[in-house]
Amino acid sequence: MRSKSKWLAILLVLGLVLAACGGGDTGDTTTTAAAEEEPTTTAAPSEGTTTTAAPGGDVATDVGVDLDAGTITVGLLSDLSGPFAPLVQVIVAGHEMYWADVNANGGINGLQVQLQTRDTAYVVDTHVQLYEELKGQVVAFGHSTGSPQTVAINPSLQADGILAIPLTWYSGWSDPAINANLVPHGVPYCIESMNMIEYLTLQNPEATTIAIASSPGDYGEDSNAGARLAAEALGLEIVYDGTGLINAADEATLAEVAGGIAGSAADLVWITTSPTPFGSIYGQALAAGFTGAIWSGAGPTWNPALVGPDSPIKDALAQNFFISQYYAPWAADSPGNQAVRDLVTAAGADPLDYYAEGVIEAKILHQALLAAYEAGDMTQAGVLAAAKSLESVTFDGLAPDETYVGEPNDRVQRQQFISRPDPAGLAGGTSTGATLIESNYTSPIAEAFEFTEACFALS
Amino acid sequence: MTSGVLVLAQETLVPNEFAQMLVDGISFGAIYALLAMGFVIIFKATSVLNFAHGALTGLGAFLVAAFTTVLVFPGRYLTFLPEWAQWTASVLTALVVAALFGVLLERIFLRPMVGEALFAVAIVTLGIDIVVRTITNDWIGTQPRPLGAPWGLDGVDLRWVRISWSEIIQIIVTVVLLVLIMVFFRTRTGIAMRATAFDQETARAQGINVGRVFSMAWAIGAFLAGVAGLFYSIYPRRATGVDQSTAFIAFRAFPAVIIGGLDSILGAVVGGFAVGVAEAAANTYLQFEALGSGFPGIVGYLLMMIVLLIRPYGLYGTPEVRRV
Amino acid sequence: MRGRPLLYTSYEADQALLNTTTKRVMLGLFLLVLVTIPFQLIPGIKFMGQEDWLRLLTTTAIFVIGAFGLNILTGLAGQVSLGHAFFMAIGAYTAVWLGGPEGGPLIGLGLPIWIWLPAAGLVAALIGVAVGPTAVRVRGLYLAIVTLGLVFIGEYVWRNWNSLTGGAQVGRDFPPLQFRWWKEDPPVFDATTPSTWFGVEVSAIAKSFFVMTLLAVLFSLLAKNLQRTRVGRAFMSIRDRDIAAEIMGVNEFAYKLLAFGISSFYAGIAGALLASFVTRVIPERWDLALSVQFIAIVLIGGVGTVTGAVLGTGFVVLLPRVVQNFTLWLQATAVEGKGVLSAIADVFVATTPDDFGLVNTFAGVGPGLSVAQLNLVLYGLLIIGFLIFEPLGLYGIWLRIRNYWKGWPFTY
Repeated sequence: MRSKSKWLAILLVLGLVLAACGGGDTGDTTTTAAAEEEPTTTAAPSEGTTTTAAPGGDVATDVGVDLDAGTITVGLLSDLSGPFAPLVQVIVAGHEMYWADVNANGGINGLQVQLQTRDTAYVVDTHVQLYEELKGQVVAFGHSTGSPQTVAINPSLQADGILAIPLTWYSGWSDPAINANLVPHGVPYCIESMNMIEYLTLQNPEATTIAIASSPGDYGEDSNAGARLAAEALGLEIVYDGTGLINAADEATLAEVAGGIAGSAADLVWITTSPTPFGSIYGQALAAGFTGAIWSGAGPTWNPALVGPDSPIKDALAQNFFISQYYAPWAADSPGNQAVRDLVTAAGADPLDYYAEGVIEAKILHQALLAAYEAGDMTQAGVLAAAKSLESVTFDGLAPDETYVGEPNDRVQRQQFISRPDPAGLAGGTSTGATLIESNYTSPIAEAFEFTEACFALS
Repeated sequence: MTSGVLVLAQETLVPNEFAQMLVDGISFGAIYALLAMGFVIIFKATSVLNFAHGALTGLGAFLVAAFTTVLVFPGRYLTFLPEWAQWTASVLTALVVAALFGVLLERIFLRPMVGEALFAVAIVTLGIDIVVRTITNDWIGTQPRPLGAPWGLDGVDLRWVRISWSEIIQIIVTVVLLVLIMVFFRTRTGIAMRATAFDQETARAQGINVGRVFSMAWAIGAFLAGVAGLFYSIYPRRATGVDQSTAFIAFRAFPAVIIGGLDSILGAVVGGFAVGVAEAAANTYLQFEALGSGFPGIVGYLLMMIVLLIRPYGLYGTPEVRRV
Repeated sequence: MRGRPLLYTSYEADQALLNTTTKRVMLGLFLLVLVTIPFQLIPGIKFMGQEDWLRLLTTTAIFVIGAFGLNILTGLAGQVSLGHAFFMAIGAYTAVWLGGPEGGPLIGLGLPIWIWLPAAGLVAALIGVAVGPTAVRVRGLYLAIVTLGLVFIGEYVWRNWNSLTGGAQVGRDFPPLQFRWWKEDPPVFDATTPSTWFGVEVSAIAKSFFVMTLLAVLFSLLAKNLQRTRVGRAFMSIRDRDIAAEIMGVNEFAYKLLAFGISSFYAGIAGALLASFVTRVIPERWDLALSVQFIAIVLIGGVGTVTGAVLGTGFVVLLPRVVQNFTLWLQATAVEGKGVLSAIADVFVATTPDDFGLVNTFAGVGPGLSVAQLNLVLYGLLIIGFLIFEPLGLYGIWLRIRNYWKGWPFTY
C-alpha cells in the first residue's frame, strides 16, 4: 500500500498542476506558428510596414488581432484523432509551414500570425465546444473539418459574425442559404463527378454503362447526385448504384460493393469513398476478373499509398484509373506547387499532396486578412466582410482561382485537376504517385450546370 | 485513348455462389478465429477481458509492415533465400517483437491489478487500448503501410470457385496455430497455464510460477493478434496495408468469442468460422433494399444473441458454478 | 443532540438523504457555487463562467444524469452494461420523433418538451425491459458483450433509418430546449435566446446550464433516494450474492428487469438532453466510445455512490480540456525558451522538425506525438493510473481525506 500511496500522491500533484493550467488565462495557451524563428516580440510591427498607416493607428480590431503585441490569431478546428486524422494532420502542418514562412517574411503588414489548433475528433459536440472556446480568441477559422460539424456551428458563426473555411467539398457551401459565413474552395463533389464522368467517356467513347458507389453522408450523396445527372446527360446506363453502401469499418460492405461492381460488368466506375476501402473494393473486383472498366473516384478516394512499391494493385491502377484532384499534385510544374515543395522541404518533411490543401486554405485567409487590413477593419466581422468581397484569389497554378462575389452560379468552382497514377515516379521519388494530365479542367456538362442550391440537402 | 488507357476484353467469371460464399466466409472467419483465440487464451490464463486486443492487432500489423517493407529485417541479410522465405523471416521477427510488447504491457499495467475486480481490470485494458492505439497510430503515420505479401493478388481459379493465396494461407495458418496451441496445452507449461486458469492461488501453492504464465499468455495473445492483423491488412481485406483504423477489427471478433464460450479455445475457432460464414451468407443471400447498408456487419452479434438465449455460456464455455 | 456526531435517535434520521449537518452544509455550498458560476462572482473559478466552460459544465450535468443510470445498474444491481449509448440513442430519437418539426422531410410530430422529455425516458425504459430477458439470462462478462452488441446493432439501425435519424454522416437537428404549452404556442421558457432575469443579463448557454443542473440535482436526489428503498436494497442484495438474494425472497428476474428499466430511463433522458443541447447529432455519435466513457465515469468516480458518479463525470468530461490546456501550456513554455521550466518543457516538446521531444508541435511531421495524440495518451494513462492506484475511485480518495480530517490531529 505504501508504494501505492506514493504513486497516488504523484498523481494528485499532477492533477493539481493540470487543474492549475485549466484556470490559466488564455494568454498562456497561444502558440506561435513561427516555431523555428525568434520569439515574436522581436519582430516589431513598425519594421514590417511602411506604406500603410502604423498598426494601431486606424485599424479597428476586436478579437484575435492584437496590434500592441503584433499578433493575429487564427483558429483551426481539425480532426486530429478521428477518422480523418491522417489527412488533417498533414493539412494542419501545411498551415503551420505557410504561416511560419509568412511570419519570417514580415507577417501580414508586420503582424505575426499565430495558430490555435484544436482536435475535434470528428465529434459534432466536441466541434461545437471547441468553437465556443476559440471564438473569443481568434479572428477567423482557417478551417472547420467535416460537413455535419460545420453545419452545426454555422448558426453560431452567423450570430457571432465569424468567417470559417469549410474543410469539405460539399456543394452546399456555395448555396446562398447557408454560406453567409463560409468561403469554400475547390470543385464541389457533385460538379466534380460531372467533370470526371464526362472525362471518362472521352477516354472510352464506346462506354454505355456506369457503376457508381459511395460512402454515406453528404460526401457520397452529393457526389452521386452529380453522377446521376452526368449519366443522364451522357446517355450512360447506371448498371450498379451503391450510393451510401460503403462503410470503411465494415469489410462486409466492401465485399458487397466489389461484387456489385464486378457483377455489373460496367464500362465505367465512379467511386466516392476513402483510400483504404477503395483499395479493397478495387482489389476484389480485379480478382473477380473485372478488368475492362475505367475507374475514377472523388478527390479524397485517392492516396499515393495505393500505388506504393508494395501495393498489389499498383500496376492495374496505373492502367485504368484517373485521379480527380482539387489542386495540382506535388510534382506539377507551377510556381504555386514550387512554393509548396519549398515549404515542405524547408521543414524537413516528406513529400505529400495534402500539404497543398493547408496552403490553399491559408492563402485564402491571407488574402482576406490583407484586404481587411487595407479596409482598416480587422474585427471578426471585418475579416468576414473582406473575405466575402474577394473578387479573385489566385494560387499560382496550385489551384484554380476562387471568387467570392456574384451569384452562386458565377462563383461556384467548376475547375479541377486530373492526373494519372505514377507508381514509377513514386518509387523513384520524383512524384507523389500522380502525373498531371489536365489543369483547370471543366467538362461541358459541368459548365452548363445551373447551380442555385446544394445538389444534396444536408438538413 | 490519348492517355493510353488499356481497355481489356471484359471477362467476369460467375463462380458457384454457394461455394464462393463459403470460401469468403471461412477465410474471413480465420481472422476472427485468430483474434478470438488470443482473446480466450488471455482470458483463460489471467481472467482479463482484454479490450486492448484491437490495439494489439494494429500494433502487430504495423510491426509486420515495419519489418517487411521498411526495415526489411532480417530479410535483407538472408538474400540467399527465396523471396517468400525472406518475407516470412521478417514476419516472424515482427510477431516475436509484438509478443514482447504483449508481455511488457501485462507486466507494467496488469500485474498490479491481480486480485482486483474483473471489471476494473477490463477497464484498465480499455485505457491500455487508448494509449497503445494512439502511439501505434503515430508510428503508422498518415499513409497506409503495405505489408508486401509476396503473392500479391494471385490466387487459384477453379472456375466454380475463386480463392486467393492469401485466403488459402490464412486458413492453413489458422488451423496449424490451433493445433499447435492444443498441443501446447498438453505440455508442462501448458498444464501450468491451465492450472493457473483454474485457480491462481492454488496454482501458486503448487509451485507454478504464475507470473510467468501470465507473461506467456499475453505473449501468445499478442502473437495471435499480430497474425490476425497481418491477414487483415493484406489483399483481399485491405489491399493498401495497415492504417490508423486497423485496430477496430477486434470489436467484430467479440461475437466469435462469446458464441464459442469465453474460456474455450476450440470454441473461439468454431465461433470465428461461424461468424465469418454467417456474415458472408448474409452478404450473398440477404440483398434487400430495406436492409440498408452494413447488415452483414451485425449478423455476428445477432447470432451471438441467439446462441446466448439457448446456451448462456456459449457453445463450449464452462458454466459458472453459483454458490452462496 | 447537537454536537454529537453520528448519534441518531430515530431510523428516519439515520436513513435521511443527508444524515449529517456537514453533508447538508456542503451540498448547500456546492449548489450555491454552481448557481454563481455563470455570473463569474467567485475568484478562482471565474473562468468557468466563460461560454466554452459553461458548455462543458452543462455537458457534465447531462452526463451526470446518464452516469446515475449506469451507476444504478452497475453499482447497485451489479450488472455491467456497455449498452448505455444504445439507450441514450433511443431517448434521443424518441425525443426527435415527438418533438421534431412537423411536416418536414423527416419524421417529427412537433410536440412540446413536457411530452418528449419524459417520453424519451419511458421509451428507453420500455426497450430496456424488453431486451432484459436476454440480458438477465447471461451474467458477468457475457452480459458486457451482449450489451456491447446492442450498441453495434443500434448503430446499424440509426445509420440506415434515414427518415428518423437523418442518415449516416448527415444526422439531423434535435428539438431545442424550449418550454411551450402546445405545438405552436409562444415559448414560456427558451434556453436558446438570452434574457434578463431580475435585472441580470443571462445568456442562452447560462440558461441551459441552469436547466441541466437543476435536472441533474433532481435526478441525483431520486438516485440517492432509490438506494435506501426496498428496491435499492434488493438491487444491492443481487449485486452481492444473487443466489442468497433469491433465497431471501428477492425475485431476481423481476428486479434485474427493473434495474435495466430504471437505468435505461436515465440513459434515455440523458440522451434526449444531450442531443437537444448539441442541436445536431449524427448517428455515429451513439457509439461504443460513448458507452466506454460512462463505464469509465462509474469506475473512476467510485462504483455505487452518487457522489462518485458526480466526481467521475467531472473527471472524464473535463479531463480532455484540462489535458489540452496542459499540453498547450507546455508547448508555449518550450517555445518561449527561457528559464528552467522551459528547459523541462523542451524535453517533452519538439519545437522544430528535428528537435527531440515526446510531443511535436509540427502536426504530422517528424517524430513524436502530436498534441492531440498526447491528449489521448494522457487520458488513457490517467484511467489506468486511477484504477491501479485507487480502485475505489475518486470517492475512495474523498473517503480517505474525510477520514483523515475526522481523526485530525490524531493520526495513527
